[in-house]
Amino acid sequence: METKKQTLADINKKVPFKVPENYFPQFNESIMAMLPEKVVEPVKPISLWDKSKTWVYMAAMFLGLIFTMKVLVTTTDTSNTVNNTASTSLSQEDNWNDVKISEEEFFDYIETQFVDENYYNLVNNEVYSNSL
Amino acid sequence: MKTKFNEEDILELLRDPETQREGFAQVVVEYSERLYWQIRKMVFSHEDANDILQDVFIKAWLNIEKFRGDAKLSTWLYKIAINESITFINRSKTKLNLSIDDSDSFLVNQLQGDEYFDGDEAQLLLQKAVVSLPEKQRLVFQMKYFDELKYDEISEMLGTSVGALKASYHHAVKKVEKFLKESN
Repeated sequence: METKKQTLADINKKVPFKVPENYFPQFNESIMAMLPEKVVEPVKPISLWDKSKTWVYMAAMFLGLIFTMKVLVTTTDTSNTVNNTASTSLSQEDNWNDVKISEEEFFDYIETQFVDENYYNLVNNEVYSNSL
Repeated sequence: MKTKFNEEDILELLRDPETQREGFAQVVVEYSERLYWQIRKMVFSHEDANDILQDVFIKAWLNIEKFRGDAKLSTWLYKIAINESITFINRSKTKLNLSIDDSDSFLVNQLQGDEYFDGDEAQLLLQKAVVSLPEKQRLVFQMKYFDELKYDEISEMLGTSVGALKASYHHAVKKVEKFLKESN
């Protein structure tokens, strides 16, 4: 064996290793036989429910939202109606307060009431009865 | 007869469970020799290189679904091979009660009697010089000096910048020259 070449440039660059004859073709064959089998998991079919559940959830959410809105709006309307009724009664009273009749009209009305015969009798009998 | 290797076509085969094995057989044919020499240069012994190469392909086979095609397939395989070789060297050190920081010269000590060593004294001395280098410098030196890979390719495999690789290689050459000179 030579020991004279001691600088990097002088040393044979070839990798000083060898392999057994026919090593690579044999390796390629044997390694394929060594590879473990892979379990291919069957693709799970996607059911109609899986496909549509997102939309169903969204629809349910919107329905819930609409229902909530409706309840809130109805409650507000009822309290408004009560307030309106109160204000209507008040305005009716106001209307009667605003009615003005003259003295003459008032006596006419009384007279009409007394002129009614039945009514007259009733009143007199009552007075009579009371006097007894 | 070996057909022309087209990475895109192979990746298509690998993605389909039905054709995955066929595609992987082509990967093995294409890369087994290159990966073997990379591993052999790191661990020196043929038997060890053979075992590690088997582990590399089994690991690649089991993890092929995780390969997303961001890098080249060869880069991914080289990374597995380098990692497996480093793991093997560290495990061997543990068995020999050596520290991880100790020299890897134990790997080359039995080379002279190895039936698959095919070199002269000077080449053996060069291997001793190479194994005396720190791990990263050794990898860079082997890839650049023996395999004549481009810095870009090495950069992808080792995840180191081209500038850092150039510096590593420069230091490695200096150290090898010094080792050879001192061995005269």
